[in-house]
Amino acid sequence: MTDRTGITHPPLSPLVWTIAAFLIAAAPHLAAMPAALAGIVILLSMWRITSGWFQWSPIPGWLRILITLALIVLVVMAYGGLWGRRFATGLLCVMLAAKSMEMYQARDLRMVASVCFFLIATQFLFNESLPYLVYLAGGCWAATIALIQIQQIPAMQRAHSGAGMQIQRRSLNQAATLLALALPVALALFVLFPRLAQPLWGLPDEMLDGRTGLSDSMSPGAISELFLDDSPAFRAEFDDQPPPYHQRYWRGPVLWRFDGSTWRTTQFANARGRQSVPITESSLHYRIQLEPHERRWLLGLDYPARSSMPESTITVDHQLLSRHPVTTLSQYEVISTPDFVPDAELTQSERLLATYLPPESNPRTRALAGEMRARHPEDRDLIEAILQMFHDEFSYSLSTAPLGRHGADEFLFDLKDGYCEYYASAFAVLMRAVGIPTRVVTGYQGGFWSEAGGYLLVRQSDAHAWNEVWLEGTGWVRVDPTAAVSPLRISQGSRSVIERERALFEFDWMFELRNRYDRVQHLWNQWVLGFDAERQRWMLERLGLPRLGATGIGLLMIATVILIAIPIALWLLREQHRTARSEAEKAWLRLLRHLRRRRFRKRAAETPLEFALRIEPELGSTGAGLVQLALNYNRVHYGPEDPELTRKFIANATAWRSTGTRAKSGNPMT
Amino acid sequence: MARSAVALRRNPLARVARQYLDQWIQRRARGVPPIEVQYRQIFILPTRFGWMLGLLMFGMLMGSLNFNNNLGLLTTFVVAGLGLVSMLLAYNNLRGIRIHRTSAEPVFAGQPLTLNITFINDQNRVRPALEMLAGKFRVEFDLPGSSLEEVGIRIPTHHRGWLKPDRLRLQTCHPIGLFEGWTWFWPERPVLVWPRPASHPPPLPSGHDLESGRQQRNEPEGEEFFSLRDWRSSDPVHRVAWKASQRHQTLLSREFRAEQSDHLTFDLALTPGRDLEERISNLTAWVLQAEREHLHWTLKLNDASHGPASGKRHCHHCLRMLAELQ
Repeated sequence: MTDRTGITHPPLSPLVWTIAAFLIAAAPHLAAMPAALAGIVILLSMWRITSGWFQWSPIPGWLRILITLALIVLVVMAYGGLWGRRFATGLLCVMLAAKSMEMYQARDLRMVASVCFFLIATQFLFNESLPYLVYLAGGCWAATIALIQIQQIPAMQRAHSGAGMQIQRRSLNQAATLLALALPVALALFVLFPRLAQPLWGLPDEMLDGRTGLSDSMSPGAISELFLDDSPAFRAEFDDQPPPYHQRYWRGPVLWRFDGSTWRTTQFANARGRQSVPITESSLHYRIQLEPHERRWLLGLDYPARSSMPESTITVDHQLLSRHPVTTLSQYEVISTPDFVPDAELTQSERLLATYLPPESNPRTRALAGEMRARHPEDRDLIEAILQMFHDEFSYSLSTAPLGRHGADEFLFDLKDGYCEYYASAFAVLMRAVGIPTRVVTGYQGGFWSEAGGYLLVRQSDAHAWNEVWLEGTGWVRVDPTAAVSPLRISQGSRSVIERERALFEFDWMFELRNRYDRVQHLWNQWVLGFDAERQRWMLERLGLPRLGATGIGLLMIATVILIAIPIALWLLREQHRTARSEAEKAWLRLLRHLRRRRFRKRAAETPLEFALRIEPELGSTGAGLVQLALNYNRVHYGPEDPELTRKFIANATAWRSTGTRAKSGNPMT
Repeated sequence: MARSAVALRRNPLARVARQYLDQWIQRRARGVPPIEVQYRQIFILPTRFGWMLGLLMFGMLMGSLNFNNNLGLLTTFVVAGLGLVSMLLAYNNLRGIRIHRTSAEPVFAGQPLTLNITFINDQNRVRPALEMLAGKFRVEFDLPGSSLEEVGIRIPTHHRGWLKPDRLRLQTCHPIGLFEGWTWFWPERPVLVWPRPASHPPPLPSGHDLESGRQQRNEPEGEEFFSLRDWRSSDPVHRVAWKASQRHQTLLSREFRAEQSDHLTFDLALTPGRDLEERISNLTAWVLQAEREHLHWTLKLNDASHGPASGKRHCHHCLRMLAELQ
């Protein structure tokens, strides 16, 4: 076991399990990592197993340090200075793989196995959807098996057997038992652990490396994978019916600044709004279950009036904004007033910003706008005319084409084919060219109504961009040029448009299956992921408990954990005495128990007969027959098999016990 | 243990603390075999690894709470549950073990003593990953279900006499090394340590050594016939063995020896040595040599006299007397 460097190789089995636990826990992280890094991690792990198999001598210390430093440099390079959580977890994975180079003692193995739990927990910062429950269970199981086997290393070395099937099966069972016993405790803690209503500390924005979702800028022509992403963005629960299609505009970032190719938000985008939205009879009440997107915006229907999210604001652009980036599934209620028109007077700077176009860009578009303006002096007529033009001459598709310096020109005169971003951008350029203040609103449009679930599912592919135009005397009016081109996109959602392109592998039953699955996911989100301080309070109130503070809930938690631990402890601590192997032995043990209650205890060294002979005088008249019983027990238990004799012995022993006085063994066995 | 014992002797505060702890443990429950280990005898604390995992868990808890990340919290609590269950299992691994007795064969001072401890597991379950600790010495073992196991631990010895070993520790980190449960106990009786035999003892004190003529002449001759040898001019006439001389065609003398020459007397007062310990050391070597050569001997210690006798039993008796000598 010991080579010349004095390093003892641990038995193979705990080593393999530790590395397996690490790879399982790291699997989702590896999938999200640059492929080269993931390859290195897997390679290092495999190397360690191979070197354990062949008992290679370990890598010398200086080389280990060199490799580790090289790996750190590699990770920094691979993530290009993005100090986000992906970088942190990536680094952790690589470091653990590097640690495996010097993993020879139980201490090192233990460290890697226990950090697996941490790796598993960090994965949930990125994705908490239902399938990851399997990952949680599997990862914890593997790590527990590894820990159990590490504990058994001395025993394995004593027995000189690394990986007997029996040891494997036993540790698998032990780990499952441990986890099964830990689960009730974990669940009680989960339900009753006092939650924070607010985070303790905010996460610096640079720690967030963004997921798919809306962004705060828009460049038509840049490749956008958002429209192909079917993952849910959020779900909106309505009590009765969802709002009609033409009201399903979920407001996201509002873009004002245009530099000729990219639309961006303003510096004052996060400022609190001046105008509050009234709540009227037509206002919609609903509840949003927002998937984490690591941005601050919360989505709501046009125009949000109020939200239950703590510390959230409604900005000047009528956008709902949370105070901290949404890093976990969040649930909040919103009240929106769809027929509200924002009509707070424009300031001079706002007007300038909303009509600005980079000079000398898009000359043909400007010319076209001027020409149309001459024909339609009324703003509304002009808008109508442009939409009519879109409807007649343009088509909708998700194909992208990169746009050059005069993006609007290229799109309006050459391409005539595109998706919402192209239309919203071109329309805004047209409007601004004639001095009508216009802005681009991004967000989501539509949603799939799940009748059974009572919620509207909005996917990332429902992302949309539309315009708002300032009409003097009215205010900001929503204009959706995409709707003019492809009314289907608005009335039936993005799927109706995409379907044509992906019909090859999109069947209806698959679609149905996905929607069914989404309902389960929705419940999971609602009851597990969305279990927060508010739901906890609600649940405790339903249980009839008075309103408890954090201290109260904490005490309740401790009491419950103790209550749960008691039966577990009793079960674990039960006496496991030798079990009887035959019916006769059972009868004899019952007899001994009976005598024990009468304060006659058989000594360990006594044979049945010796015991009977010793206590018979003490029992006096009640002890008659005991010696005969002991003799018969000897015959039955040690002698050749005799069913008839056995049956009689059992009957007599039972009778002796039940009467306790008269023995029925006058001549029992003849 | 040697070092700690020395340190204890030097540091009175540590000694008092130690005594106090020992008394406290013994007040709690029986500390001497036979013991059936019960809750009053079991102590349990997290191991270093346990503290580390606790720290990791705290980090996970803070992170998950801050992000209100429920699955992260669930993972944290699963680890907490594992901790709780493994604490119970560590406790349960010790509970009900019967420490039946301790026994040891005497050894010579300086040799390690093997203290055999008999454990009985009368329950049907295996008790894995047990460890016996005595000072720096540790031995790992498992107790199969319904079994009796004898575990030997080695205790270093330094001085002759009755050795009262420090308290022994039976411990376990079962099942995953998060918690360490242990129980303390003492051997039920002290262990005899014989004196260290001198490595180069002086020759045996009587005329046992045939080559040493000087010693022989000094000794009075006895009545028993010992052997024949060449006649020397100083030999008295009645010593001449006539018949034998005739047979060998040369004069031979009969040599006599005292019975004592076969019956040695080891007297502490007459034993060479600078101090008592060295003399005892020499005596021990003599006793062992005499026993090896199947001689009879008498051991005289101050006023008491043991023997004359021979054999293992006498030898052990003498060794014990030497060990106990004040």
